[in-house]
Amino acid sequence: MLSTASMERILAAALSHGGDFSEIYIERTKLSSVSLLNGVVENTGSSIDCGIGIRILEGDKCVYVYSNDIYNEEKLIQMAKNASASLKEVPGGRTVYLKPVIEYKSQPCIISPSSVAKSDKVYKLRKAGETAKNYSSMISQTSAACSDAEKEIWIANSEGLSVSDTRCRTRLIIQAIASDGNDKQTGYFGPGSGEGFEFVEKYDLDEKAREAARIASTMISAKPCPSGKMPVVIGNAFGGVIFHEACGHALEATAVGIRASYFTDKKGLAIASPIVTAYDDAKINKEWGSYDVDDEGTPSTTNLLIKDGILNSYLVDRIGSRRMGEPSTGCARRQNYSYAPTSRMSNTFIAAGKSTKDEIISDTEYGLYACNMGGGSVDTSTGEFNFAVNEAYIIRNGKICEPVKGATLIGKGNEVLMNIDKVGDDLALSQGICGSSSGNIPVDVGQPTIRVSEITVGGQA
Amino acid sequence: METRIRSLIDQLLKQAAEEGFLESEVFFESDVSTSVQALEGKIVQYESSDASGLSFRGLFNGQMGYAYTEDISEDMIPFLLSQAKDNCRILEVKEKVTVYEGEKEYPECEFFNEDLIKIGYNELADTALQLEKKTLAYDSRIESVDDCYVVYSSGELLITNSKGMVCESKENGISVYIGCRARDGEDVQTAGKSWSFTSYDQLNMDECAMTVGKKVIEKLGAHSVPSVKTSIVLDRFAARSLLGAFAGAFSAEAMQKGLSRLAGRVGEKIANTNITLIDEGMIGDSPLCIPFDSEGVSAKRTVLIDKGVFVSALHNRKTALVEGTVSTGNGFRGGAKGSLGISPTNLHFEKGTLSFEALLEKMKDGILITALHGLHAGVNGISGDFSLMTEGFLVKDGKITEPVNQITVADNFFDVLLKIEDLADDVDYYAFDGSHIQSPSLLIPNVSVAGE
Repeated sequence: MLSTASMERILAAALSHGGDFSEIYIERTKLSSVSLLNGVVENTGSSIDCGIGIRILEGDKCVYVYSNDIYNEEKLIQMAKNASASLKEVPGGRTVYLKPVIEYKSQPCIISPSSVAKSDKVYKLRKAGETAKNYSSMISQTSAACSDAEKEIWIANSEGLSVSDTRCRTRLIIQAIASDGNDKQTGYFGPGSGEGFEFVEKYDLDEKAREAARIASTMISAKPCPSGKMPVVIGNAFGGVIFHEACGHALEATAVGIRASYFTDKKGLAIASPIVTAYDDAKINKEWGSYDVDDEGTPSTTNLLIKDGILNSYLVDRIGSRRMGEPSTGCARRQNYSYAPTSRMSNTFIAAGKSTKDEIISDTEYGLYACNMGGGSVDTSTGEFNFAVNEAYIIRNGKICEPVKGATLIGKGNEVLMNIDKVGDDLALSQGICGSSSGNIPVDVGQPTIRVSEITVGGQA
Repeated sequence: METRIRSLIDQLLKQAAEEGFLESEVFFESDVSTSVQALEGKIVQYESSDASGLSFRGLFNGQMGYAYTEDISEDMIPFLLSQAKDNCRILEVKEKVTVYEGEKEYPECEFFNEDLIKIGYNELADTALQLEKKTLAYDSRIESVDDCYVVYSSGELLITNSKGMVCESKENGISVYIGCRARDGEDVQTAGKSWSFTSYDQLNMDECAMTVGKKVIEKLGAHSVPSVKTSIVLDRFAARSLLGAFAGAFSAEAMQKGLSRLAGRVGEKIANTNITLIDEGMIGDSPLCIPFDSEGVSAKRTVLIDKGVFVSALHNRKTALVEGTVSTGNGFRGGAKGSLGISPTNLHFEKGTLSFEALLEKMKDGILITALHGLHAGVNGISGDFSLMTEGFLVKDGKITEPVNQITVADNFFDVLLKIEDLADDVDYYAFDGSHIQSPSLLIPNVSVAGE
């Protein structure tokens, strides 16, 4: 590791020509994974990621350089000087003094994953695979995996801030595939946590294995989904992925700060139905998307994004703050040292409402019940989004009827938010990986069961 | 490559043998890149990197174990060896895996342009600023070029093993991405495109700006259409993204694991007779050439579908051994960190005879699809089902009319293979778009389109 004095010299070198702010991010991450296919250990890996990123800001202009060579001070100083020179200003002098380091432990683990034999992980995975396999004779394949990361980071900047953090994250994956002739359908869960091996020990993966097998077996007998505009009831937990994509990304300073989002200049205005309140909360204890301090060294917050349909806050990082004239909300994140940080989500969810799930269903004459969502994407300029539905049923006369497969939901984020006409009381979170300009990061999405009065459903029928 | 790295690799292989690995291999990748982004007439972002990763794999206990590090120092040798050994102890792979002794000769393939090394920050910045300006100038309705990047990158790869194989490659290039936004009243549309070049003089800035500008302006006024079963033409960009989403079905690994519908179907008719699908590592002097795979097997030409008949899967050495055949040179890792799997090299449908315009005329009435969105989520890679958000143009009497969006297309990839009515002649491996998967435009009848 670089000494405080080395960091001070690099930070000063980064401001030797141009720039009004410099920052160092150093990372060392131990990663480990193991995966089983049909009960056989097919893949396992161990790795060490390490590197340093040096960022220089001048106004809202950003220079970012990175390297794996975290021990070579001379080389890093040269990189910092070159980066600073790209700002094309005459050489100047600048000294940086770092304050004492503030030590965070965002996600301390009780049992370090790297201290546990992989066979202990395999035992749990094998059992879950068997549970899924035994659920039904239609289950033809199962896969199960465990991956964990122990990340240590150090952040220092020219304002004198010095911060360290440790973050441990663990994720389990269970997938069941049901076969019937040419058709194969998949059921999948990927629970994760901001904990160590203790998460693997206590988590009931067998229950998720049965659930994955149930979804796969149900969807194999499903008919193709009808297409057209219709009311859609979206299930809780991972259903929140629509809010994440269609609203969350458009609230990030990355888009708002350059006026590229359809939510630009909408603060204080109604952007959603009045029954919608939503948060981005990085402070939920031990959650997969949580952290105590962001990747710029700013403490994390509970950010009320939308209150009763009114836009209350954006997701603002340091550059966004400069562009928008608003303080940072502690949301700067990055996959690793090879990315400059930017405004990102953490645990993002629609808050619980008053209706029960049963009330919402029984109030729907005809529509689609999309109870398990897949992935999707959004264009934050136009608001256009698309999502796959992994498990869906037709609702007829207030009752959940036959399963349908191959459904995709498309629409515009701003319109869908306005069209939410029911919000349930069954809020739950679900874990995922969000990909954007600063890489892939762990996030939670979440919501209670909601109903959208009209949405375009794409299907083969 | 630095001599420090070379001697470290030699030492690692030597110690691996001493620690009881019967065979061992090192996969080392090193990349340098410089990237600039222009926005509103200024360079707002400049990134520069120098990164490398080293992956070790070794045969111990009858299993091939992997370990990876980005901390490239002697201190990491014990970590790599002990982790790889631990991983061998836990693996239960039935198929025998070995490292390759290499080949006498590899195809000539040199994509390192010394002139490009001299390109500095100023040239990249100037290019990005000009591209932004030219794109904005294309039409007054273009209100912003939100993403305008120019990137120089170079990479080196070394694969070497205890059987004496040494495979090396080195390449560099310039890539450009332009993404812009146009507005007409309340109607906002976006469009983007990327290019990659192996020399600076291949970059025609006016043409890049015009391509993206035209693309976004044509989208203005797009609307949805009522749900319908109709003929569609997938243009070459949409067609290749669909092919890419299902390329995994041709992997022998997927077949052996029961994860492909094509398992056990060699010799069967799986596509219309006008369909021939080819994977080839070397395509003339195209910069897309890949001389060897991640196991060191040299580039091959594999016909996957010959006039509708499924002829061969894509193999690496492990899957080939299982089926008593030879590798098709498709054993690839997803970077140094990934374990060995199967990927195509340059995969493409053989082109047809009609021009793109003639293909639209043949369709007469239907929808021209120019992009498919959500391919990471809206496809079932195993069953072949897809339902994807899309955009394009209505085609009436063989002519492109108004733009459409907010619609989905849904069908099944394997059914589509059987019903492709015709293919255009517009495959282009020299179009500087950097895509290893290519297709001509495809005419497909009777597809579900969902809209209003």
